[in-house]
Amino acid sequence: MADAPTRREVASGRRALLLAVPIAALSMAPLVWATISSLRPGEEIFRYLSPFSWRTVIPESVSLDNFVSVLQSSFAPALMNSVIVAFLSVTLGLVVAALAGFALAVLPFPGRGAVFAFMVVCFLVPFEAIAIPLSSTFRDLGLANTYAGLVLPALGNGLSIFLLRQFFMGVPASLAEAGRLDGLSWTGVFRRIYLPLSRGPLIGAGLILFVFQWQSFLWPLLIAPAPGVRVAPVAIADFAQETGVDYGQMFAAAILTAAIPLILLLAFQRHFTGSTASSGSKE
Amino acid sequence: MTTTTTARPRHDAPAQRARRGSTARRETWGSAALLLLPAVALLLVLRIIPTFAALSEAVPLGSERSPWSNFAYIFSDPSFWNAVRVTLIFSIIVNPLQIALALALAVLLTKRIPAVGLWRTLILLPIAVPQAVSAIIWLVLLRPDGPLNGIATSLGLPTVPWLTDPTWALASIIIVCSWVGVGYWMTFLVTGIKEIPLSLYEASALDGAGSWRQFWSITLPGLRRPLLFVLVADTVSNFLVFAPVRILTRGGPQGGTDLLMYNISERAYTLGDTQAASAATLVLVLIVVAVVTVQFRLLPGRED
Repeated sequence: MADAPTRREVASGRRALLLAVPIAALSMAPLVWATISSLRPGEEIFRYLSPFSWRTVIPESVSLDNFVSVLQSSFAPALMNSVIVAFLSVTLGLVVAALAGFALAVLPFPGRGAVFAFMVVCFLVPFEAIAIPLSSTFRDLGLANTYAGLVLPALGNGLSIFLLRQFFMGVPASLAEAGRLDGLSWTGVFRRIYLPLSRGPLIGAGLILFVFQWQSFLWPLLIAPAPGVRVAPVAIADFAQETGVDYGQMFAAAILTAAIPLILLLAFQRHFTGSTASSGSKE
Repeated sequence: MTTTTTARPRHDAPAQRARRGSTARRETWGSAALLLLPAVALLLVLRIIPTFAALSEAVPLGSERSPWSNFAYIFSDPSFWNAVRVTLIFSIIVNPLQIALALALAVLLTKRIPAVGLWRTLILLPIAVPQAVSAIIWLVLLRPDGPLNGIATSLGLPTVPWLTDPTWALASIIIVCSWVGVGYWMTFLVTGIKEIPLSLYEASALDGAGSWRQFWSITLPGLRRPLLFVLVADTVSNFLVFAPVRILTRGGPQGGTDLLMYNISERAYTLGDTQAASAATLVLVLIVVAVVTVQFRLLPGRED
């Protein structure tokens, strides 16, 4: 029962809740408003913007038309493509980043500082600035309109390497030394000692890789415009045509795009809440 | 691959030990090379080589123009200097603001709050919406006749020229970027706080330390490495802000929100001057490298 909350902790938690709920509500407000708007039929979105009244937040009539037509359009397969591409980017990217971050944090080898500086410089270069020359190389290699073409740029992610290095450096060096003395190879030290300790940081690095891919717009536009491999952000942009923006459909598509990470995050949070913090307790 | 070291004899001759030492060192170097190979190869092909392609565009060798003519051109362009000025003002405000908010939220949301994971997730959620779309949501919210001004009016407050006044427009960009970013950076600090051993807090509570005291003497020192990460990563990402500017203000009014990334993309895509755009990109990268170097010096994350 080392982990049971004291009465004081419970009281301060209640007080913190009074702050946390309004902040979460404020953070959600623009998305809630977009959701409400996506449930309104046609041009009603702009009818009650101003002056602000209860009609601004409560639609005259609720209709799922926008969601139905979005899901029947080419947006649905695009969302599926986004999920596949993001999944591949996160899993493969985590392997690459975890190995590199471990080597940079733990292994003593000459030139370690230089290799780390190289990685930092790599994430200082804005990807948008090199997207055009890189996309012509990719097209020459036959990677246009392929999943590989979409996934590969996400794998060279200096930021996730930097994050994992920072956390691996915080693991006491004595653990690695003990493992080495017991005859573990470096990969053994990584697998048996560092990986089990770094669930939280790995989720963080996974988040970086996921966000990079989920947000990317210019690159998919350049390298994968074909309908079969189109991703969600590119498909959403189609709702803004020269003829005008279909806000209802665009907001519906945006809500669906945000819903997938929301579900994943809620599942993850439930699974990992408090897990790493229990290091002081005896289980 | 690696030769397994057999059970270690405790007392061995110095020569033997030295020989084993050098094998171990070679094994370490080999492992390091192997572990780093995928990352280094990917970064070389995906980041460094294209960067040199951009560099060769900015510094055209072998033409009759001077190789530095593109830099001479942008340095004589007042719109470029305005973009540098706006970018620096934006950075000086947005980075401390976001990091302070992210840190405060991380401390708040590692307390024993009912359903704490839910509140964390809801605050993180804005990053899950493609930025091009979330900017359009804000475009409607910030309209002169939009809901935000509607709320202000119904509370009897004056309306705000969100996107039509240069200063307010920059403030709007800061608000939108922070709405997206604060929850994201908070997440890394939450992870960092959870790595701090609970026993430190328990011990200091026994010594009668209050939560303010604990924050300064335990949380902040314990967060040094994650905080350096957030500081650097947030600074870099704020130097590269593009989509909100493109959608909300197009750099205006009167160049008040002309951040460098937007200025660069205008040069490349609207004016079709990719050489000047590449030159401006290199200046941007140099500014970012300089700032990040200072941050690494000020807040060393290593002590090994």
